[in-house]
Amino acid sequence: MWLKFSVIVLGMWAVGAAAWGIVPWFEIQRWAVGEQRTFQNVMASALRSIQAGNSQAAWTLCSATAAYGFFHALGPGHGKVLIGGASLASGATLIRLSTITFLSSLAQAATAIILVGGFYFILQIGSADLTDLTETWLAPASYLTIAAIGAVLIFRGARSWYQMSQVKQATHGCCGHAHGPSVNDVATLTSTRDAVALIASIAIRPCTGALFVLVISARFDAFAVGCLAVVTMGLGTAIFNQMVATSGVAARWLIGLGARNHKGMQAISATLHLTVGFMIIALSVGMLLP
Amino acid sequence: MLSAMCLGGVTKAHPHVFVDARTGFVFGSDRQLEAIKIAWLYDEFTTLVLFETLELDLDQDGQLNDSDRIKILEGETNWPQNYKGDIYLEVLGQDYPLGRPKAASVKLDANQIEVTFDLPLSKPTEVDSSPIFLRLYDPFFYFAYTIVSVEASPDLPEDCEAQIVHFDPTAAEIVLQDKLAALGREDRPEIENVGRLFSDEVQLTCG
Repeated sequence: MWLKFSVIVLGMWAVGAAAWGIVPWFEIQRWAVGEQRTFQNVMASALRSIQAGNSQAAWTLCSATAAYGFFHALGPGHGKVLIGGASLASGATLIRLSTITFLSSLAQAATAIILVGGFYFILQIGSADLTDLTETWLAPASYLTIAAIGAVLIFRGARSWYQMSQVKQATHGCCGHAHGPSVNDVATLTSTRDAVALIASIAIRPCTGALFVLVISARFDAFAVGCLAVVTMGLGTAIFNQMVATSGVAARWLIGLGARNHKGMQAISATLHLTVGFMIIALSVGMLLP
Repeated sequence: MLSAMCLGGVTKAHPHVFVDARTGFVFGSDRQLEAIKIAWLYDEFTTLVLFETLELDLDQDGQLNDSDRIKILEGETNWPQNYKGDIYLEVLGQDYPLGRPKAASVKLDANQIEVTFDLPLSKPTEVDSSPIFLRLYDPFFYFAYTIVSVEASPDLPEDCEAQIVHFDPTAAEIVLQDKLAALGREDRPEIENVGRLFSDEVQLTCG
């Protein structure tokens, strides 16, 4: 049992290390940051043009925020870790994962709109306090929720391994017909409850970029345009996360090729749960530390 | 920007603020390095954010007036105790202590706010052929700095040379990998030293 576990873990690490070595991460990162900077400036000039009364600039703003959302998502962030991890460990189909990805980005945009709409307009709280609120409370809340999801994954993976070992012992006995846990026992994200938890953990914490677009557009009496721009920003982010989810599902499929039978598949799924769970916890705790 | 964004500085690895920095060196009559000159030019979006968060330009004439300037400089140069301005000076391989901003000014140029100030060294120091490094970076990468120029100040001694070395991702990656490979089991990565690998730097040598 432990041998099998170690082999699967080592195999996954080898694939991961190879990916790390081949892809020029720093170059990609630098390019993404440069693009983000460009679109950030386009956003600024579009906002000024809207203030000056040019309503056409709303389209420029929305295209710029969509591009900004995409490139901003390329940086290491909370949404990706979770979406990537979930697509790797879960038993969800690509269509289901895509839906969850889009919903989580849109929900994140909605949080920004509700925050600015509620606090800025109704309670008259300034944008500095708003970003403080986001960073001091919402960001840690989001990381904690994400860490909790990691813990659930670990629990499910460990339970599955335990059940498999029980089954093995049982068949070593006499009865011959084992009541093995079905693969569904360890498949995550196939229930609505799981999906909602995942979407919520991402949506709790809005992007500061989105908050600023909303606050500035509110000051320029164009809050509605700001809302639209933040939704397109969310769509841009969703498109990137979509790529992450697709790679996750593809990787899961590749790893699954190594499984000879149903039991092998279950062992792999349980191991993926454990590995991804630990990764998610490590990353989210890392983000929480000062 | 500080008061507006940095206090909630737990955000990591997502640059939101882009700064083009101009740098310079101030020498005393005894050829000792006394201070560093810094100018931070904020990107257009950050400038809009500053206008909003600090409630600048309330008369909406598109210009900064005296009260606007006071508000900006308060946030930009009255640093909290634990903030060092994302400015790091390395002398003989050691982090060299710096003072607090002096002679600060601010202007608005082509929709971008620029803050300028001098940062004195805690104690003037000799510069010889072993290079002194000036680096600007935010360990959390919320602020992304690019050093765009090092200005030749009139008091720079003739035999001194200052040049910008831009961040090279490939080299940084190799150094980082070597560092990680060199770590023993009980060692912990020295996070504070990793940030500088990803920054532009100015090298100053004399003689």
